[in-house]
Amino acid sequence: MRMNEEMLNSLRTIGTGGVVVHLTTCSAEGIPNTVGERFVAAFGEEHIVIADMFAQKTKVNLNENPGGVITVAQPVKGRHWAFRGPCTILMWGEDENYDFHGVRAGDVLREWGDWASKEPPSEVPPDIRPPALCQRGVITLKVDEVYSWKPEESGRPVL
Amino acid sequence: MATMTPRMKAWLEKFGAHIGTATKQGYPTTIVVEQASITGDGVVAFNLTPAQANQIKDNIAQNPYVALAPHAIASIRAAYQFKGPAALSGNTLQVTVKEIYCTKPGPEAALRLDVLPLEHIVKFEESRWRDSGPPK
Repeated sequence: MRMNEEMLNSLRTIGTGGVVVHLTTCSAEGIPNTVGERFVAAFGEEHIVIADMFAQKTKVNLNENPGGVITVAQPVKGRHWAFRGPCTILMWGEDENYDFHGVRAGDVLREWGDWASKEPPSEVPPDIRPPALCQRGVITLKVDEVYSWKPEESGRPVL
Repeated sequence: MATMTPRMKAWLEKFGAHIGTATKQGYPTTIVVEQASITGDGVVAFNLTPAQANQIKDNIAQNPYVALAPHAIASIRAAYQFKGPAALSGNTLQVTVKEIYCTKPGPEAALRLDVLPLEHIVKFEESRWRDSGPPK
């Protein structure tokens, strides 16, 4: 599913006009894991990428249940979206021709595999800045569905 | 039940949470609720709209375990994740927190906090963050 222009524009790090997004994954038994993620971008029009900085539970979950939801919450700009679809972590060392729902691992890793160099978190205050940024790979979600999380219409399909 | 610190309660109450739910087979649905109330040390209540309650009611019925991640500015300043069983009564979702994790990126990511004595958690918070809750 293709995201619209406004959605694509929202998928940026805070320092470049975006917002922290939240990624929910689940174990095979259905135990959810929901965490805020700062390093986010659109990759093409159908994929969302997030830096994998040793997201431990996320990795375990995606290994056994490769799907997720990414919520973008910026109500003042009218952004109330939840993106759902297959999700994986493309890690350094992956065959660069590995195709994940239309994107090649090598292409994703070359563009976003060293996020801290490309978009350093210079605006983050010292007490919440990570002491070191080590990236293992890129969490990649193929958007199959978009619904609104806006309270009065939660769950309504957006696209 | 896990014991939440005053800092955790303050951030969660003011800003609410992204609430991760799933079917028993692990198909996820997340809703966002922008306010919460804390009843007791480890029980968090959310007032849902009818649409929100309707969206997650089947998930909660078959698989009550949920995950909470603080919303908005709290997602940056209050890097916690809370997990536990939830019950939906009318439009009120009540979550009994059983697990608390630090989600600050880096070496402390996924550090489990609820297994520590409360005074150790408070010391941990004081050593990592300059605030004791959201601005008044």
